[in-house]
Amino acid sequence: MLILIIKNILRRKIRTFLTVLGIGVAIFLLFSLLTFNQGYKNSLIKELDLLGVHMLAVPKGCPYEAASLIVHGGIIPKYLKEEDLKTIKNIPEVEIATPIFLAQLVEDDRISIIYGIDIESYKKVKKYWKVKGRFFENNENDKIVIGSDVAFQEKLTVGDEIYFRKFNKIYQVVGILEYTGGQDDGFYFLPLKEVQRIFNKESLITAIGIKVKNLEKIEEVIKKLEEIPDLQVVTMTQVLGTILNLIGQANSLIYTIIILALFISSLGVINTMLISVLERRREIGLLKVIGANNWDIVKLIFFETLILVILGALLGIILTIGGNKFIETFIKEIITHSPKKIEINFDWKIAATIFLYSLTIAILASIYPILKAINLRPMETIRSSDE
Amino acid sequence: MNNEIILKTEKLNKIYLRGEERVWALKDIDLTIKKGEFVAILGPSGSGKTTLLNLLSGFDKPTSGKIIFLDKEISLMKEKELQKIRSKYVGFIFQNFLLFPHLTVYENITLPFYFNKRKDKKEKIYEIAEKLSLISRLKHRPSQLSGGEMQKVAIARALIIEPLILFADEPTGNLDSENAFNIFKIFETLSKEGYTVVVVTHNWELISKFNVRKINLKDGKIV
Ligand SMILES: Nc1ncnc2c1ncn2[C@@H]1O[C@H](COP(=O)(O)OP(=O)(O)OP(=O)(O)O)[C@@H](O)[C@H]1O
Ligand SMILES: [Mg+2]
Repeated sequence: MLILIIKNILRRKIRTFLTVLGIGVAIFLLFSLLTFNQGYKNSLIKELDLLGVHMLAVPKGCPYEAASLIVHGGIIPKYLKEEDLKTIKNIPEVEIATPIFLAQLVEDDRISIIYGIDIESYKKVKKYWKVKGRFFENNENDKIVIGSDVAFQEKLTVGDEIYFRKFNKIYQVVGILEYTGGQDDGFYFLPLKEVQRIFNKESLITAIGIKVKNLEKIEEVIKKLEEIPDLQVVTMTQVLGTILNLIGQANSLIYTIIILALFISSLGVINTMLISVLERRREIGLLKVIGANNWDIVKLIFFETLILVILGALLGIILTIGGNKFIETFIKEIITHSPKKIEINFDWKIAATIFLYSLTIAILASIYPILKAINLRPMETIRSSDE
Repeated sequence: MNNEIILKTEKLNKIYLRGEERVWALKDIDLTIKKGEFVAILGPSGSGKTTLLNLLSGFDKPTSGKIIFLDKEISLMKEKELQKIRSKYVGFIFQNFLLFPHLTVYENITLPFYFNKRKDKKEKIYEIAEKLSLISRLKHRPSQLSGGEMQKVAIARALIIEPLILFADEPTGNLDSENAFNIFKIFETLSKEGYTVVVVTHNWELISKFNVRKINLKDGKIV
């Protein structure tokens, strides 16, 4: 029986190919989006973890901006003062409070993100940081540490010099961070004082990273922090929520498109099977004459449909595995605030979902053609189509 | 040979409805066919030959009257039972052969086995192919065969289940006289071997060369 079905599918190679391709592409889209979403979430959580702080104190303003831009590097045109840092440090539940001055340097068509940090406290936050060479001291105002991506892209090694034309100043690279997998790989790190100086923002800071001694006390700390004027607190879970919300909006559009694609490809299968039944009416009639019962006809049509759909699903999975990179760049382009690296892993749960979906499509797509075939009156079809 | 009755009809009538019009295709047909008989149903176009054949083979139901096949009244049977009987005892041959173009001759001949509980017996297949001189053609596709050979493949396909009765509707309608003669020769041999063969044709000239029982239809009546 199987041979019969396969030979029949191979009879119309181009039509089969197009149908399979249609399903394949739709499943590729669905699979990619599902896997991508999971990868995106995981990467975000990991990246926030790499930040090393429990919360950020930022100037009062748009929470979206505050949350996502701090994570991915950007500027907020409002600042905190050094007194705020002192106040925070005096809260007994606070373990570490580290000031950050974040700035973008636009030169030619390139944007460099410059992180001014207090090296002593910042090192405690980024315990996992490893550096080739060494860190700068807070008072070394001509030394710079760079992320591994910066080093790679600018072809810099320890000892090289970087010239910032805008400030007419040369910095010596004393250290290169080992690959972290986070945003840090793309940043330039300078002593806080130096960054404040070159941007003319002495004693101002963009954000304060805060680590509490005991996570259970986090609510108390937040309360105390919010008493400070012109300051707001963003916890890492809020950041996550904010960004996921942004993705969610982009997603609903993509989902709509994909559901449409799936729907259309399903119509394609129904159409293929229907044509295949109609153009074979005589053959189906003959099969009945030589002994096929209705159940045999059901099996023939259903398994033919199923094979088409499964081939499509397999093609979709192959495309997904092969097309990960492409999808990653594509989606990063339409969703801003993407994590640096999105880990896309093959997920069996998603594969199972897709398999179930395929099965449903196969069943739905074969119902109508099967009914058509079963109701054929063999002798009439055989006679009616005499050449 | 054997006088066993295989198929019998009593007062068989078939009326088709064509819109408002009633077409009385068969009128009071009484007929008895014995095992091993070679029967030709003859008559002009529209006389009811195909209608009769479809009733005898259970593909259509009579308006009134009885059809008895091996002591069972098939005119009262459900499609499912009929289908079982057909797949066990009945072979069909058509004017336009109805072979599957994408399957080889061998696969076409063995097609009934896919839908039949019977085992695919190699010797039987080769025996039939030998008898119909198709051995050298088994690996070919229908498009590589002559019309006569295609009809022989269709006969082989009908014989593969070792039926009791063979029905053929205008089996030589698409063949030249030489090939048509050969096909009838095969039917004659088969009937001598014990198969019952019922052939519809309007080729009087050909039929006169064989020792056949003739049933003449005219306007739905046996004359
Ligand atoms: N399904 C049908 N509906 C209505 N009328 C039909 C139907 N089938 C056959 N008829 C009519 O019944 C009569 C007998 O038809 P049938 O096909 O049995 O003739 P036939 O002897 O086989 O003719 P031919 O030699 O042309 O094949 C004709 O008048 C035909 O038009
Ligand atoms: Mg006819």
